[in-house]
Amino acid sequence: MLEIKDLTCGYDSEFLLKDINFRIETGELVGIIGPNGSGKTTLLRAITRVLKPRKGSIIFEGKNVWQMTFKELAKKIAVVSQNFETSFMNIEEFVLLGRIPHYEKFQFLETKKDVEIAEKCMGLADTFRLKDRLMGEISGGERQLALIARALAQEPKLILLDEPTAHLDITHQVGVLDLIKRLNEEFGLTVIMGLHDLNLASEYCQRLILINEGRIHKIGQPQEVLDFQIIEEVYKTVVVVEKNPISSKPYILIVSEEERQRRGK
Amino acid sequence: MREKTIRWAFWTAVLCSLLLGTVLFSLCIGSVGISLKKIIEVICEGNTSTEYSILFDIRLPRIILGFAIGGALSIAGVILQGMFRNPLVEPYTLGISGGAALGVCLNIVLRLNHTLGLFSLPLFGFLGANLVIMLVYSLSIRRGILKIQGLLLTGIMISFIASSLIMFIMAISRVEDLHGIVFWIMGSLEEPNWFLIKLSVLVSILGLIISYRFSLDLNAFSLGEEEASHLGINIERTKRSLFVLASLLTGCSVSVAGIIGFVGLVVPHFVRMFVGSDHRILLISSFICGAIFLIFCDTLARTIISPLELPVGVITGILGGSLFIYALSKKQAVLGGK
Amino acid sequence: MKRNKILSISLFSICIIGFYFLLKLPVDSAKRIEPFRGPERIISLGPSITKGLYLLGVENKLIANTTYCISPPEAKKKEKIGTAVEVNIEKVFNLKPDLVLATSLTNLKAKEKLKNLGIRVITFPTPGDFGDMCKQFLELGRLVNKEKEAEKIVKNAEKKANSIKKKVENLHRPRVLVQVGTKPLFASTGCYFINDYIEFAGGMNIAKKAKEGIYSREQVLKANPDVIIIATMGIVGEEEKEVWGKYKTLNAVKNDRIYILDTDELTSPTPVSFVKTLEEITHILYSGK
Repeated sequence: MLEIKDLTCGYDSEFLLKDINFRIETGELVGIIGPNGSGKTTLLRAITRVLKPRKGSIIFEGKNVWQMTFKELAKKIAVVSQNFETSFMNIEEFVLLGRIPHYEKFQFLETKKDVEIAEKCMGLADTFRLKDRLMGEISGGERQLALIARALAQEPKLILLDEPTAHLDITHQVGVLDLIKRLNEEFGLTVIMGLHDLNLASEYCQRLILINEGRIHKIGQPQEVLDFQIIEEVYKTVVVVEKNPISSKPYILIVSEEERQRRGK
Repeated sequence: MREKTIRWAFWTAVLCSLLLGTVLFSLCIGSVGISLKKIIEVICEGNTSTEYSILFDIRLPRIILGFAIGGALSIAGVILQGMFRNPLVEPYTLGISGGAALGVCLNIVLRLNHTLGLFSLPLFGFLGANLVIMLVYSLSIRRGILKIQGLLLTGIMISFIASSLIMFIMAISRVEDLHGIVFWIMGSLEEPNWFLIKLSVLVSILGLIISYRFSLDLNAFSLGEEEASHLGINIERTKRSLFVLASLLTGCSVSVAGIIGFVGLVVPHFVRMFVGSDHRILLISSFICGAIFLIFCDTLARTIISPLELPVGVITGILGGSLFIYALSKKQAVLGGK
Repeated sequence: MKRNKILSISLFSICIIGFYFLLKLPVDSAKRIEPFRGPERIISLGPSITKGLYLLGVENKLIANTTYCISPPEAKKKEKIGTAVEVNIEKVFNLKPDLVLATSLTNLKAKEKLKNLGIRVITFPTPGDFGDMCKQFLELGRLVNKEKEAEKIVKNAEKKANSIKKKVENLHRPRVLVQVGTKPLFASTGCYFINDYIEFAGGMNIAKKAKEGIYSREQVLKANPDVIIIATMGIVGEEEKEVWGKYKTLNAVKNDRIYILDTDELTSPTPVSFVKTLEEITHILYSGK
């Protein structure tokens, strides 16, 4: 569905993503991991046309992303960002914004269908009960759910999430990720998400793309990517990788300095 | 959603009736009071009496121009505040008024209105405004991307430069020209040329209609440019179009009526407190509210110290500012954007 | 998509209708101005015009003037229609004048508007010199059917002015500055009739060749006038005199020859008051009043 070929892009300063190549198939749930500043957000921005690539191409369902109109792209790919300016609207209006790509040329009032879809998405994301609350008044976790509801309202085929679990407590982290997993399995929504928490990535993603210093370090299933040597190489910190007793997925155990010294002796 | 549409329709109806009321109020008041009953009589009588002339040749043109300019400046303010996501932005921030004033200054000092006719005054104003628009635009566009912050800063700087140039011209001009310049700058809805009045109305209403094409874009813009692009908005094209639209509305208004401040800044904020930040209702409400406000202020300006007239900008400033502060302190401020 | 088509077509048609409305639909454009039959109701928009009308004896036909028209004292009692710059159009229209006399200060748009309403407006620009002033006065006389009186007054004034000029022909010419504005300093240059006050009286205008605009005090010091005449009112004049007093190198200061004259008389003259002021100034220049 999504193919990245020889992508090189970046900002005016030195930092660049170099020679990125990978493919994502329909229905996959892929996680992008890597140290801070490795380029996760940059990659997501490149895919959504925010950043223009210096070299290479991004092909979505056979068409180059840069040859589609913004509207076309928005009907296919939805983005859940990390932070954005709060606005003085309530949840319902916010989610309805997601219907904009589907509006007709001279339409500027939402149709009944739009409202129905918005309500369905709010229901899926468990934000229906909040629909009259203002965006600025709800908690971080609830805002994340609202963002997902809006993304769903776009009726996309692919959904990109940039650190959806940042700043959330465990309840909300699990809640959000469970929702995403459900959307992926029940509705066939393809998901790419950037995560900083390796264990969450391991638990929920089918495949992982590890990025380090602007290049792809390793692509594969969590078992392949989350190997202690690879992690130490990339994250420059000592870890122990165990099997999660509940789900049998790899589980990263950090080793604090104290422990390291104790073991050393 | 049905409820929302009803609420919007209600507000629009209320504002329209307020507008009608203000127009009638303005028609009745003047150095010669003409009651409502008399107005109807006069209309039936036709084109003969003094009252008819007063109503339709003196007061009505001012009211119509007030409608056009009040509306145009207000929606220019809404557009710019939505684009810049900054509540302090108003139509004159981008330096357009400075450019127009400079154009008019040059015209007056070079006595061009004597040779080219009175029509050249607003023409020069418009040319000056356009020059500034193009300057600000070209200075803020980098590799095809229009930088919002650049627009703001460049506009402010050009505003300052224009003011200084105007002061320079004023310092070397004759006394009678000085009067002309100062009075033009102070702003006035007195316009002898019907063509210009009709032109202003046309531009304002067209501007309103066109702005609706971007009402959703403006809603999306409130989340930031990046988010808006994720929602399918072509932000570069939208920014360009909105900038040109707001600039032309401002340029036309300033060329015809001089600098009438505060309308573009205060009216959007005031209206937001009552109808919310959704641009689909905000645009039309601000237009009508701006028209009401300007017509009302102009009526006060020409009657308070009769037979002398105050510049309308004085009333808009004092009244607008005070109303705004009062409303701000009463209601929980719902300033859009921040 | 069909709905789109309908919408865009209707939008387009609205635009076309709009243009049609703009260009074709007649609105009350300029009314025809009635042929002139000799004015019975005159409105003056400037102090010099008001004074002129009183001189010609047609003050009974003057129905309104400006708040600036304070001379002669009877003029203050007339109906007011604004200042010398801004005109209350409604009021003027309501008074139904058949002649409105404007100056170069009068707001151009206001004049245009009055013309559109069918009112006859004649503008008297600021005279460039005494000759201009006389010509304008004759024109005024013609307009109000008092040609003979105007001729008499002008002839008289010219005679007096010429006799003064002759008297001072061979006397030494003091250097003079006439200051018509303070904060900032405005000097009267060679462009306007004020220059004639100085030259007819036998003086030399130090600012004659200067360009329009604010005059620099340094220039004044350089030119070192013998006499400074300040044309402002009240306290401001006194303050300015004190300011000049600080520059002890000036001849005018050394000999204590700084005078304050009434600005209304100086700047809005008729030929008669011009001569009167001229006599005053001549007296100032040659007898050190």
